[in-house]
Amino acid sequence: MKQLMRRLALPLLALAATPALAHNPMCECTEHGEQITCKGGFSDGSGAPGVTLDVIGYDEQVLVASKLGDDSTLTFKRPEGEFYVLFDAGPGHVVEVDHADIGAP
Amino acid sequence: MSQTDTLPPSGLKQLWLKWRFHLNILLILVPLGFMPKYFADASLFRGDSGLGANIVENIQVGRWTLDLAELRDEAPRAEGPAGYFKAFNAACTSCDEGVKATYLRVGKPRSLRAAGTIFFGAPARMGTSLPIPPRTRPDADIWITIEGWDGKMYQASVPLAKASPATAAWLEKQGGNK
Repeated sequence: MKQLMRRLALPLLALAATPALAHNPMCECTEHGEQITCKGGFSDGSGAPGVTLDVIGYDEQVLVASKLGDDSTLTFKRPEGEFYVLFDAGPGHVVEVDHADIGAP
Repeated sequence: MSQTDTLPPSGLKQLWLKWRFHLNILLILVPLGFMPKYFADASLFRGDSGLGANIVENIQVGRWTLDLAELRDEAPRAEGPAGYFKAFNAACTSCDEGVKATYLRVGKPRSLRAAGTIFFGAPARMGTSLPIPPRTRPDADIWITIEGWDGKMYQASVPLAKASPATAAWLEKQGGNK
């Protein structure tokens, strides 16, 4: 038993040291017919429920002001004209998704 | 009573038994090979070897002037699902008065909310990790936005090719294919 413990000690310690993960915001939007679904999150794999997600026109008019649901997604009707989606997790932690980059999955 | 003769070890085995102890020395030499990189990194992060690579000096933003440098002279790094990032440093010794926050973005920000990534750290040496959209044009500008305590936005731009030639070359090479 002691022998086994000794042999396993190093591999176990190596596994216990989890690498530091970056925590960058991300947001992906896909189109389903008239509807657009955006999913927010962070690059360490965590979700972003309750984080602000706004849809803003090129003229800076806020078209949809909302927050992500419990599953970190938000679905809304595609607005007319040019717009961008702003995932806003606080100053400096934003992701912009341009309407030209939103397509079918 | 039976007697067992120990067979003399084979040539290879003998060599191993004789020299295995000296592998210790190799194990000491291996980390020595990484020392120069370790000390170079330590001095870079401490600021002893300057702000970084390709320093653009005296950028006028509002009433402040700042220096901008990329941390390393290299192409953006992939950081998992969030895409490609490039680390930048900035120094602004006059920024201790009137500055609420400093942001960096590829292309002109649409609004203060979308001013880009925020600089962390003391004004004399602050850093940020700038996301580089893979479809950025190599002749794009990077914009520095200072948010003042007066609530106003002060902006300046630097050509990306000047602030980070390696990033411009990387964008040129992949030609918006990603």
